[in-house]
Amino acid sequence: MAVSRLTAAVCRQFQRVVTVSSHTQPQCATQAFSRFHLCQRRQTYDSWWFRSSMNNRALHTSCVRKGLEEFFDLPENWGEQTVKSGAPWTAKQLRVKSNEDLHKLWYVLLKEKNMLLTVEQEAKRQRLPMPSPERLKKVERSMKRLDTIVTEREDALRLLQTGQERGRPGEWRRNVFGKTFWYRFKEHPIPWYLNSRYKRRRFFEPSHVAPYTRLSLEKYLRSKMRKDKRQKRNQKRLAAMFPKKTALA
Amino acid sequence: HHIRMISEGSCDTEDWSYDLGNPQLRIFRPTFNLTLVRPGKEQPPDTVQFRIPLEMTKFDVRNYLEKIYSVPVAAVRTRIQYCTNKKRNHLNQRVKRPDYKVAYVQLAQQQTFQFPDIFPEKDQKHEEGSVEEMQEKFMEDERQRQKSDPRRGGVTEWFGL
Repeated sequence: MAVSRLTAAVCRQFQRVVTVSSHTQPQCATQAFSRFHLCQRRQTYDSWWFRSSMNNRALHTSCVRKGLEEFFDLPENWGEQTVKSGAPWTAKQLRVKSNEDLHKLWYVLLKEKNMLLTVEQEAKRQRLPMPSPERLKKVERSMKRLDTIVTEREDALRLLQTGQERGRPGEWRRNVFGKTFWYRFKEHPIPWYLNSRYKRRRFFEPSHVAPYTRLSLEKYLRSKMRKDKRQKRNQKRLAAMFPKKTALA
Repeated sequence: HHIRMISEGSCDTEDWSYDLGNPQLRIFRPTFNLTLVRPGKEQPPDTVQFRIPLEMTKFDVRNYLEKIYSVPVAAVRTRIQYCTNKKRNHLNQRVKRPDYKVAYVQLAQQQTFQFPDIFPEKDQKHEEGSVEEMQEKFMEDERQRQKSDPRRGGVTEWFGL
């Protein structure tokens, strides 16, 4: 089976090995991508990456469970109090990667998150502490950053090609309570004037609600002014306590 | 209608509805997370139990497992577990425990699955000079002190001098 090697080799600090998920269909998603990335030791760990296709996790005796094994950690990590893991992906590191690499990394992160959630749930069930719960936060942050990078690229492409700022069309509307909000369009099979449920949802404010919009605006402005005044007062108090002359001395 | 793929977008606020004649709905970066759980009740050997997000359907679970994990799926059954809204916090406000959906997935090709023991007892070798090692030694000494004199051969201390 052709093992697909990805061009972006990333090093890792810990013992976890990401194996190819199946022998029947080559799935390139899981090949050798780490969710954690260590900048300094990149050169030294490249060779380690190349010998990493170890498939001999022959712990389970029942027949073919290669797929479901990925819901659990490596067998040598079972029962440990802590599992070593590296730093999460930063946006700067992710921006360098190609779309294909990001797509594959997304699935690696997804599988890792599933594994961590499984371990967490089992730990709760057995009433034991989960080993290294910070891994979950790291994975979540990496995924969030990946998502921001992909949306950035999509937005840029769309702006260049069509000039549209948003992928999904919408407009500013005023609801029954007088509040202005961004209404996002939905797809319907029939026009709006035939849609009775849509017509019941009024996008204008009735005349008796109009005075309250002004009152709520006044309330908002008042609270904003109070907040600004409070902050200015605080800064003044601090400046009186710690005058600039003593800072420079 | 059977071919509906994972119909929830990567930004979950999208509503991805399908009308006849539209191209196949696809998402490229699913945000769904599956949690494999140990079954509370005894399940048949080919059944795997998952906790899935409420928005996921049986078709979604099947496609997810087949495409991402390459696990052959024969059947999927789901149910929604309602969790209590009765508990109250220190401010006497009702606190809702979030609901979740459970999927019972039956594997194809006569495969079996047994939920493994993820937290086996491992006898820990503490490093020399660490706090845990000193604690362990102290506890060992305490236990030794509590034991009765072995020279008495199991006779209680009530008798004797």
